[in-house]
Amino acid sequence: MRYLGRTLVRAILLLAGISILCFLFTEMAPGSFFDELRLNPQVSPETIANLRSRYGLDQPLVVRYGRWVKSAARADFGYSIAYNAPVAPLLWGRAKNTLLLTATGMLLTWLISLPLGVWLAARRGHMLDQAFSIASSFVVSIPEVVIAVALLAIVVRWRLLPLSAGPLHGEGISLRTHVQDLATRMLLPVTILVFVESAIIVRHVRASVLEVLGTPFVQAAHSFGICRARVLFRHVLPAAASPAISLFGFSLAGLVSGSLLIEVICGWPGLGPLILEATLSRDLYLVIGGIMLSALFMVGGNLIADLMLLAADPRIRTGALDAH
Amino acid sequence: MRTKTAILIAALAALHLALLCAAFIAPYDPVAQNRELPYAPPTRLHLHDAAGWHLRPFVYRWTLGDEGYLEDKSESFPVHLLTTGSSYEFLGIFDTTRHLFGVAPPASIALFGTDGFGRDEFSRVLYGGQISVAAGIAATLIALLAGALFGVIAGYYGNWTDQSLMAGTELFLSLPWLYFLLGVRAFLPLHVSPVRTFFLLTCVIGLIGWARPARLVRGIVLSSRTRNYVLAARSFGASDLHVIREHILPEILGVLMTQATVLVPRYIAAEVTLSFFGLGVNEPVASWGNMLSTLQQYSVLVSYAWLLAPVGALIITSVIYALLADVVQSRLEFPQPGN
Amino acid sequence: MKVTTSLALLVCLLAGECLAAGPTPQKPNPGEELFQAAQVSGHYGGQLTIGGRAEPKTFNPVIAADAVSREMIGRLMADLIEINRGSQQTEPALTKSWKTSADGRVFTLQLRKGIRFSDGHPFDADDVLFSFAVYMDENVDSPQRDLLIIDGKPLTVTKIDRYTVRFTLPRAYAAAERLFDGLAMLPRHLLEKPYRQGKFVQSWSLNASTNEVAGLGPFRLKRYVPGERVVLERNPYYWKVDSHNDRLPYLDELTFLFVGTEDAQVMRFEAGATNMISRLSAENYGLLNRERNRTGAQLSDLGPSLEYNFVVFNQNDLSSKKLDAIARKQKWFRDLKFRQAISAAIDRDAIVRLVYGTRGTALWGNVGPGNKLWVNTAIPHPQPSPATARQLLKSAGFSWSPSGQLRDSSGAPVEFSIITSSSNTQRMKMATLLQDDLSHLGMQVHIVPLEFRALVDRVFQSFDYDAAIMGLGGGDADPNPEMNVWTTKGTSHLWHLNEAQPETAWEGEIDRLMQQQMVTIDYTKRKQLYDRVQQLISENLPFIFLATPNVLAAADSRVGNFHPAILDPYTLWNADELYIRRPTENAGVR
Repeated sequence: MRYLGRTLVRAILLLAGISILCFLFTEMAPGSFFDELRLNPQVSPETIANLRSRYGLDQPLVVRYGRWVKSAARADFGYSIAYNAPVAPLLWGRAKNTLLLTATGMLLTWLISLPLGVWLAARRGHMLDQAFSIASSFVVSIPEVVIAVALLAIVVRWRLLPLSAGPLHGEGISLRTHVQDLATRMLLPVTILVFVESAIIVRHVRASVLEVLGTPFVQAAHSFGICRARVLFRHVLPAAASPAISLFGFSLAGLVSGSLLIEVICGWPGLGPLILEATLSRDLYLVIGGIMLSALFMVGGNLIADLMLLAADPRIRTGALDAH
Repeated sequence: MRTKTAILIAALAALHLALLCAAFIAPYDPVAQNRELPYAPPTRLHLHDAAGWHLRPFVYRWTLGDEGYLEDKSESFPVHLLTTGSSYEFLGIFDTTRHLFGVAPPASIALFGTDGFGRDEFSRVLYGGQISVAAGIAATLIALLAGALFGVIAGYYGNWTDQSLMAGTELFLSLPWLYFLLGVRAFLPLHVSPVRTFFLLTCVIGLIGWARPARLVRGIVLSSRTRNYVLAARSFGASDLHVIREHILPEILGVLMTQATVLVPRYIAAEVTLSFFGLGVNEPVASWGNMLSTLQQYSVLVSYAWLLAPVGALIITSVIYALLADVVQSRLEFPQPGN
Repeated sequence: MKVTTSLALLVCLLAGECLAAGPTPQKPNPGEELFQAAQVSGHYGGQLTIGGRAEPKTFNPVIAADAVSREMIGRLMADLIEINRGSQQTEPALTKSWKTSADGRVFTLQLRKGIRFSDGHPFDADDVLFSFAVYMDENVDSPQRDLLIIDGKPLTVTKIDRYTVRFTLPRAYAAAERLFDGLAMLPRHLLEKPYRQGKFVQSWSLNASTNEVAGLGPFRLKRYVPGERVVLERNPYYWKVDSHNDRLPYLDELTFLFVGTEDAQVMRFEAGATNMISRLSAENYGLLNRERNRTGAQLSDLGPSLEYNFVVFNQNDLSSKKLDAIARKQKWFRDLKFRQAISAAIDRDAIVRLVYGTRGTALWGNVGPGNKLWVNTAIPHPQPSPATARQLLKSAGFSWSPSGQLRDSSGAPVEFSIITSSSNTQRMKMATLLQDDLSHLGMQVHIVPLEFRALVDRVFQSFDYDAAIMGLGGGDADPNPEMNVWTTKGTSHLWHLNEAQPETAWEGEIDRLMQQQMVTIDYTKRKQLYDRVQQLISENLPFIFLATPNVLAAADSRVGNFHPAILDPYTLWNADELYIRRPTENAGVR
């Protein structure tokens, strides 16, 4: 319990620290939101200056940070200059869509990668193992953007999927059509996500399982006559768990931020396009709100990963915590 | 196993040798534009024409017609080895004009086609590889060294060190790096020389990338420092440094190698993002990263497939490295004597 | 029982009808004075989808600053006088007719009688007064406010009677009726209350419900799905009719789909998810063109656009010590012969071929051939000549080292950087071509791609750059919007911002000429003045002009009355006339 209490305090301090650093970082970038208006010869600099001061962009950093904290306390988390609306409802609406995508992707990825990694390690040297090694190198080397554009291009050229679809939220549509429609739209982005993530996770799982397979206790287990599958999943996997758990923590941490590029390319109405445009157009509070949201997930994800590490490896728990 | 290792090492050596001698193997200067031949498909090598079979391959000139490029079969140009071409400095030692192969002007031999400015893709892939592979490897080394250092310290000493270092990684991973990059760009002088750009690239990528390996390493160190042999070593009075070097490091090598195979290609491709902020290798210098940015356009991807050459080169490089890492890992997995 | 069931059935049938089609257009009644689009015909029904680069940010026409929002809002709203994008001339819109006073300062507008907003509420002069009060309110800070301030004084609006309004300008202003295009008329019955409460800026945000938003445009708001699309439906009270006296628009629904990059737009167009694309790059146009026989798509190459791309050299007054290196180079940038040499060395034809895939035009001045009314055809278009360039450089005191490097009169090597926006692939390519051209002169040019706002910051604020490749123009064909670029005190006077007094004779002359043309009403006299301005610009090269792209648009085979124009919004300006062809009509594929 005390451990949890301590971690919570630490998490809150961390989030506060991140918010301060975010403000500092956003100061570093040249340019401001209204710069686009400067290129319009019909808008006077006085109007631009007035707009800047109306949104408080000319106030000193400390003042702006104070205002933001107050706004956060009101659960608004700042005001978006572009949308003229409070940040939190904007974010939350899109976050739901992103979570739908990434949670599905994460579930599928781990369902596929864990068993596959273990299986490949057990059949090390086998043709399929070699083939996978090469295939995953392919996937890992090609930048995500190129993969996404290439897959999308294939889908379009060979008409594999209908790119158009009914609205994501409509009236009078039966649940069945809604789910079907959703599934069709999610197919491409989820496939890309799973593709790209599994390549990495399978590699890690395979590598660490391989390490454990060489240790004496496994050989002992084999010699005891325990069947291979049981050895693999009951004895090897927990011992090889550590990097996998850290990776799982990363997956959790990336639930809101990991699919940004894919959402932009596939046109999925999630956080990705919103935050990307906000970042490039310097819509400060929207960006900071988005970062705080993903920081929240990151802290949470790492926390869960740490707890899982404790649970998986009893040696960490029992007494060896004090090093000297 | 041994033949496989031998093949892999030979392939790796051939790859690096090719990149090192890019200036010799490439028939053209990578920045030389040929404005009459934009987006020309790869030059076809022929061995047979109306006169029969020839031993020496030859090519035809591309001419731009209404429907695209057509081979001008009126004149054939044989491919010669060890021809004279544009001058370059071989390995920075001496000037020469010898190239591995070429054809007489006005024909040109573009094995991987040309880009939008008529520049030879094959030459650009070779020259570009020099910068990109070096940058990717250097950045990976920085990221992994820093990550391993912090991960080991955090995992080994536990408690407050661990908590604060891990808080550090979380901080690092959450921050808006896009703004940081913009700030770096604003802070630097407008023109940064290619060599300095290279160093900058690697440092930036490496600096931003240490957090993940650190977490992975820390996880492993946490479990391995409680192993019996470690406890035993400590009870024998072994110093921390000794324990870390002898017993912890071997455990993390596996993770580090796997991360390396993932990170190298990813860092090479990261240059695409950096170029967006003006922190990449600038035109007209070729690098796989800036050649990849043109591929983000749908029309280019679909119409000019030969421009995928740097992707192919990147894949080959990372496949070789991955397979090699595999082999090295299999050597490492067998228990060390004395455990 | 039977009656009620059959009534219920009837209701359901009717409801089904309504759900299937958009709101039925009201039959024109005699009390309304409607605009008849004489050449237009088509038929009702259908849904058009167009892709957009991003999501619109607001439904409020007064504060909307970004192009995407404005494009969508333009379909919901109408103006008093509109510029017909096809003919580039003004035509009466909500105004039936107007009279100008002899001195060109007073405009008396007769509004159409009997017109209603999309929610049925009548429209009259009070709405006009209210709208202008909002636009000119200093506390609202509308980006369009400055249009209504001439010489520092705002124009005044007075109501003469229920359907007559009088505008008085502080002084005569050429082509003043063009000002009215883009100033949407607001519904007083919905917006006056929030305005009086000081909440105008927050009204009509994306969260607004459909009954809060009403306008006089061809469509009204139906549904907004965050992050995904905006669906507009037919405005049943729209004030235009076609040649058969049927009320426009033809379309039941118009949907804006937020797709993202241009590539994503093209992919969706190919997949049939969208029906039209507004601006295409040359490569994508080529791609769609190659497939047009199979798909039957309508592709339109409208010729050169009104934008101009150019290289600008930093001639600003630099006070900071940090910018010393640039200050030293400015003695080259300020030398006319240096700029002339660069202009002579640039291969504009290569730019048109390699950057725009031949779908572009080279430029030697700020007005290109696309602007037929105002282009000065007497300006010379010299071919690239490295020999002339070398001659010019030599006479300016430059010389070449034995290795071919260009040096100035003090022996310093000529080396500078060109910044450009990394997100604009065309300008990046132009930079690469330029770099190569200038290297043949012995100049070492570095290309520095920068993120867009970082670029704007350097060009407008910190002046920390040597040269930049940028693009301007495209708003309107009329010279007045260009005032701020060419006059000394103008805010887009990029090569020398914050210039207190014109430092050269030609800049002073341009100031006088531009001021004069602004108050000259007669077109021929204005043309003469503006011709001279163009001549001065092309002779003195404050910008070195490069090229302009053609306006390229596409629609699929089912879209009828597809008449894209070179003025923004390229394809949707006649959204009220667009219709979806029935399958039987597709026989004659163009």
